[in-house]
Amino acid sequence: MDAYLAAIVSVTLIHVLLALGLTLQYGFTGLINFGMVGFFAIGAYTSALLALHGVPVVLSVTAAAVVAGVSAWPIGLASLRLRDDYFAIVTLGFAEIVRLALTSEKWLTNGVQGLSRIPPIYEGTGTAAAFIIVAILLAVTAAAIFLIHRVAYSPFGRIIAAIRDNEEAVQAIGKDPARFKIQVLIVGSALAGVAGALSAHYVTYIVPEQFMALTTFYVWVAVIMGGVGRVSGAVVGTAILMFFLEGSRFLGDFLPWISSVHMASIRIGVVGLALVLFTIYRPQGLMGDFTKR
Amino acid sequence: MTYLALVQNGIAQGLIIGLAALSMTLVFAIARFPNAAAGDMLTFGGYAGLFAFNATGSLLATGLFAIIATALLSLAMYYAVFRRLAGRSSVSLLVASIGIGFMIRAVLGVSFGHGQLVFEIELTRPYIIGGIRVSPLDLKLALSALATLAAAFGILYMSSIGRQMRAVADNSDLARVSGIRSERVMAALWLLVGALTAVAGVMLGMATIVAPEVGWEILLPAFAAAIFGGIGSPIGAVAAGLILGVTQELSTPFVGFTYKIAVSFVVLCTVLVMRPRGLFGKAEAVR
Repeated sequence: MDAYLAAIVSVTLIHVLLALGLTLQYGFTGLINFGMVGFFAIGAYTSALLALHGVPVVLSVTAAAVVAGVSAWPIGLASLRLRDDYFAIVTLGFAEIVRLALTSEKWLTNGVQGLSRIPPIYEGTGTAAAFIIVAILLAVTAAAIFLIHRVAYSPFGRIIAAIRDNEEAVQAIGKDPARFKIQVLIVGSALAGVAGALSAHYVTYIVPEQFMALTTFYVWVAVIMGGVGRVSGAVVGTAILMFFLEGSRFLGDFLPWISSVHMASIRIGVVGLALVLFTIYRPQGLMGDFTKR
Repeated sequence: MTYLALVQNGIAQGLIIGLAALSMTLVFAIARFPNAAAGDMLTFGGYAGLFAFNATGSLLATGLFAIIATALLSLAMYYAVFRRLAGRSSVSLLVASIGIGFMIRAVLGVSFGHGQLVFEIELTRPYIIGGIRVSPLDLKLALSALATLAAAFGILYMSSIGRQMRAVADNSDLARVSGIRSERVMAALWLLVGALTAVAGVMLGMATIVAPEVGWEILLPAFAAAIFGGIGSPIGAVAAGLILGVTQELSTPFVGFTYKIAVSFVVLCTVLVMRPRGLFGKAEAVR
């Protein structure tokens, strides 16, 4: 039971990191990143491949952050000077292409068989090791929350909030919004890369199928439920989402006539329904500012 | 010979992408958001067509039933969700459309399973036209697509409601003060969008398979074609769809089958960097 609890907390923390990246990008700056899972995947494969070649996990996770951040740069250059929705489409496409490449480039990624026996975050077995891993993930998440708080209340944070609220006004005071947006995109994607790397080392095997677009929208649902533009929202939203995803697994045990394939469909449907209902009835989310819509 | 066959496949694919892109560009121009549910509407059209085909066996009935069913779904989407979000940012509508797409896929997955279904159409001997083998089914499908496009362009450019749609696309405030009722325009838009995606879905189902994910895979090429053609340009969307379809097929000998979708992504990025307004779009619409 303890081990199970530790597992849920670990997976939740990894998703909190993703949600924090999206909060920085969408909540603070207004970037519609529909390709979170692409950067998550790049981070996972970078770190896994390096670690499998003997690089220490601390370094490989750092490298994952760098590679995911750098891969975001051309995406930003291509689309962030245009309308917001173009960026959404480009990132959506980017994530699909990443998954295609992971499936096809067998020499590097071992194709659909994926990579296994990835070194874990912390060597060891049993409950004690599981709790040490939770502690490490907690430390990384806390560091990310601290970083994002610092960003939000810095001069940089005020400018990105201004870009979200009124881009023309930011241009009028002589700042280049695209430059700031690209920086935010890189930082948020690096965070997604770290999340991917930690996930790879946590699960210890990765296959391209783990990086479907659905993961991106899990993060979106978490952020929208919790409250857009709130760090607390990212945490609360992710916790609720994980509760639901784990709950649906138990529901499968109680309702044996629902096959696991059907359960996957139902999960997609519930995510869709949550996106629609929250957009219509509570766009500010659960932790959001109730005075404005 | 092989290249000709690829071009022929490309045109068939291009008509599907073009129909989807046309629906996308109309929503983009008139309702002002990228409709990410279009892919799953297409899938729905495929399933609706398959249902009618298994019941009647007639191609005409298949097409008509798919068009009616998908147009009604599309109208329901507008009244249940998009109308309530009128006046919100395009992000809200985009996120909601993703949600609707997921719901459609979930319902199809639960009702019909995840297996791949096919239209069991008897193979007939191909016509030989000028040394090129053309199967009668492909020809019929291509002609139906062209007829659908002709009907759509007729509605857009020769009817009163089409003129009103184009007026709203140009300037919605001006359209409103000239007495155009936006709700009627929107209802007509969503019916038209449903019909277009239905035809694309049936064509896709007949050319390949019917499965819950097929539409999602057309979404990216369709977005790329809508932007390549220039947002708000119907003729641009169709032309760009054909160009993308043929390019995708011609690229397969060089990049392999799996990277076919990547071609549209590369085209999309290139267009956004070099000429963001696309082939026929207006410069002020993209910033």
